[in-house]
Amino acid sequence: MPFSLLIPAALAGLAAIAIPIVVHLRRRPRSKAVPFPSTMFLERSPIKSEQRRRIHYWALLSVRALAIMLVVVAFARPFLTDDSILASGVGGPTERVVLLDRSWSMAAEDRWPEAVRAVEGAFAEAGPLDRVSLVVFDQGAEAVVRSAPDAARIRAALDTLEPGALATRYGPGLKLAQTILEDSDLATYEVVVVSDFQRNGWSGDEGVTFPEGTRVRTASVAPRPLDNHALAGVSLSRERLGDRERVTPAARIVRSGGEEPVEVMVTLELDGRQVQSLPVTLPPTGATGVVFEPVTVAQRHTQLTVGIPGDALAPDDVYHLVLSPGRATAVHIAAAAARGTSGDLYLRRALEISEEQGFQIFGRGSGIPDESALQERQVVILNDRPFPGGVEGERLRQWVQEGGGLVLVAGDRGRWGEDFSGIFPGALGPVLDREGARGERLAGLDFDHPVFAPFRDPRQGDFASARFFRARSYQVEEGDSVQVLARFDDGSVALAERRVGHGRVLVWSSTLDAFWTDLALKPVYLPFVHGLVQYASGRNPTVEGFTAGQVLDVADADAMESAGLGEVAEALTASEERVALTPEGGSRDLAAGRSFLALDQAGFFQIRPPGQDEVRPVAVAVNVDRREAELDPMDPEELVAAVGGAVGPGGGGTAVQTAEALRLRREDQERRQSLWRYLLLGALGLLVLETMLSNRLGRKGRKRGRHARATS
Amino acid sequence: MTHARARSTAPGAQFLDPRVLARIDNLELLARTVVNGFLNGLHRAPHLGLSMDFAEHRAYVPGDDVRHLDWKLFARSDRHFVKQYEAETNANVVALLDVSASMGFGSDPHVTKLDYARFLTACILHFSRGQRDRVGLVTFDEGIVDFVPPSARNLELALHTLARVQASEPGALRPSLLDATERLARRGIVLVVSDFYEEPDEVLEALRLLRGRGHDVIVFHLLDPAERELPGGESTTFEDMESGEVVPVVPNRLRSAYREMVENHVETLLERCTAERMDHVLLDTSQPLDHALFKYLTIRERKARSR
Repeated sequence: MPFSLLIPAALAGLAAIAIPIVVHLRRRPRSKAVPFPSTMFLERSPIKSEQRRRIHYWALLSVRALAIMLVVVAFARPFLTDDSILASGVGGPTERVVLLDRSWSMAAEDRWPEAVRAVEGAFAEAGPLDRVSLVVFDQGAEAVVRSAPDAARIRAALDTLEPGALATRYGPGLKLAQTILEDSDLATYEVVVVSDFQRNGWSGDEGVTFPEGTRVRTASVAPRPLDNHALAGVSLSRERLGDRERVTPAARIVRSGGEEPVEVMVTLELDGRQVQSLPVTLPPTGATGVVFEPVTVAQRHTQLTVGIPGDALAPDDVYHLVLSPGRATAVHIAAAAARGTSGDLYLRRALEISEEQGFQIFGRGSGIPDESALQERQVVILNDRPFPGGVEGERLRQWVQEGGGLVLVAGDRGRWGEDFSGIFPGALGPVLDREGARGERLAGLDFDHPVFAPFRDPRQGDFASARFFRARSYQVEEGDSVQVLARFDDGSVALAERRVGHGRVLVWSSTLDAFWTDLALKPVYLPFVHGLVQYASGRNPTVEGFTAGQVLDVADADAMESAGLGEVAEALTASEERVALTPEGGSRDLAAGRSFLALDQAGFFQIRPPGQDEVRPVAVAVNVDRREAELDPMDPEELVAAVGGAVGPGGGGTAVQTAEALRLRREDQERRQSLWRYLLLGALGLLVLETMLSNRLGRKGRKRGRHARATS
Repeated sequence: MTHARARSTAPGAQFLDPRVLARIDNLELLARTVVNGFLNGLHRAPHLGLSMDFAEHRAYVPGDDVRHLDWKLFARSDRHFVKQYEAETNANVVALLDVSASMGFGSDPHVTKLDYARFLTACILHFSRGQRDRVGLVTFDEGIVDFVPPSARNLELALHTLARVQASEPGALRPSLLDATERLARRGIVLVVSDFYEEPDEVLEALRLLRGRGHDVIVFHLLDPAERELPGGESTTFEDMESGEVVPVVPNRLRSAYREMVENHVETLLERCTAERMDHVLLDTSQPLDHALFKYLTIRERKARSR
């Protein structure tokens, strides 16, 4: 390979070689002047001037000249030219972005060390002029190092990284990489994706397209399938016995992979203390369940953990919940006197059946609770009964405005007076008979509304199977506070809502028994009634466990109530000084203005005012996203094709081979080789040699001078 | 080293070796020691006295000047005796000593040219005083530094002056000798001790002033061995001790030419002095002092005979 110079003009400095030559010719070695009686004879000698122009120390001169030459050539930045590189289509320096998957599935076996090695390998290829970025992604993405000129920072940052508790989502990471590439002014781009490439994290269209010519490489760290045991979920069945509540946990365990059934021990811990353990046999690539003995939940914020022995993928081997004694929703049912309780049968039975916090049912007949009783009710259901007028009606309206929930099931008798039409959505009309045995069916459901949200996903509830033979005509004008939640397939309104003050009023235009409709006989009836009443009560369902990646606003009373922290929500939201202890032992300041707690670790977060060590801290359980346990890989090329990149090391390189790119490439080659360092080292060595030589010659000269004087 | 060996092997030279003499602080003691030792070494030499006052008879030994045989005594005793006379002259003997800076040079740090000249002058003055001469001393560089007029009582003063002279200033022969010539009204023997680093014409012009007054001029031309050989090796920078001029040279290359120039200079001075009826004695400071004294006595004897 021939030599080339990056800055040939620096060779002009070779003229400096003349300096030591002139010095050797003009300057004699410095010696102390020898006193002499008279120089009258010396001045006459023509020899002295000739002698001064002679070079006596050729070796010294050569060393000095060579040292100068090396320094000058070093400044000219020499390098060995590799024509194949210069002639290649590769442009100048590369903007290289490495996407590192840090979802919790990367903790399996040796995936993470392998991923780190892959990242280091990707950065080891970086040239001196390249810029490198390291983006870690799971459900979100974060640029650990962005467009850094050297990989040293990345290597340092890599040591601090480890798999998190969040699931894989390729979109955020790819989007951030796209942003980095678009912001770059370099000629070529390269993206390296290091992941186990779970299909769960890929939606198929992330809306990311890399700049043209971006070379995309992938490094998969999931070479073989795992025999993974995972706790897919834990459900709780509540049973109230007097003042106490008994909870029966049931766990579902899924096994992916394996060839033979294995027996594992499932343990149950309450507040960190193991209370039960049950053996269970896991079939290959199958699932099984285990039901523990009921446990009594006597205290709030009881931390419940179900676990199986750790395997190659540990994060999904535990499941955390926080239990508190349930708070039943007090529901008063007022039915038409003529219907008796038979018309309430399905409704009452549905409300009585509850595996969770449940409902406490009050009311017999058509009576409306007095004022004191009304304050203890969350929901009043007027089942086929007119809205009372006079004092009772006014009391109910006042109660609704203060936060009560009123459900009016129209039936035959459902109506309200003109004085109270302001609290009801729309106006009820006469009974309409649906023609034929086919009846009407619910069609237009607002699945974004909390009442129907649980039925949004497929196979989560089939309202279309329920037939409605009769219903009241119902005219509703939707507005800011009025909303139609369900319609029949003829477009008429089935369920409407009106917000009144802090309360809610819902009107169901049919009945909730089996006379006008067979909805009560359908599986969706029970969850529908539960959801309807629960929504009307204004209480959000309590969440025993969050999924990693969610955010809890501790300053939001509703959110805190959903988290089971309703009773402390007021104290916590009122406090401006809060602190959260993370499952990994860290702490996060949740002072005013920073009330959002990112639940990004699996385990129990504890929230408390700073400096206080409560006996039973307020806890929030967080579990990893179980979908991440599905380790089915995707084809990395699918991802590469989707983002528009070229595959593999031979791909890409469509950057124009401009003179600027060539210049940058030459500079890149020079910086890679850094021959100037060796030249400067050589020059330094020569200068040391020059010093030694000069001292030696100086001593020799002085010695000779003394000898000459002595002998003369 | 060869010079040192030559000095140490010369018979009877240890007292007259300048290196040995340099250890004697008292210049009078030094002069007396040298002169007496020197004279003892010449015990059969015929150069004892130059005056006409009879001192004693001594048995004739071969080599004595037959002119000093006492024929009358031979007639009476039939034995040969020679007459010895007390040296008794009334000549003025004045030493003109160059104390310019160049005289401070000495390749042997113990014996500079000035030291050598000081020993020589002291000895000659002491010897002359023993001959009943009036002795005087003039030291000069650019001009006269010290002037001790010739007198029979000024030996101590002259020696004391000699003891404290220092070579520090540049020298100029002509104005100094012109001044001395004007001060030395009575004719006498004038010793000029210098290294004569001036052009021969200028030196002779200055000496001619003394000679023109009728003085018997004896020129002691002092040179250090290094001055004749040029020290140094490949590259040496010489500094003129009087002008301060710095001359970088390569002695190895210059030595032969330099030596030739110095020899020519000495030869020229010798020839010109001889032509002007002045005695020129070239003295090497590495040589024993008796050589210089012997030269002096020879010249005195010759002058006495010729008188």
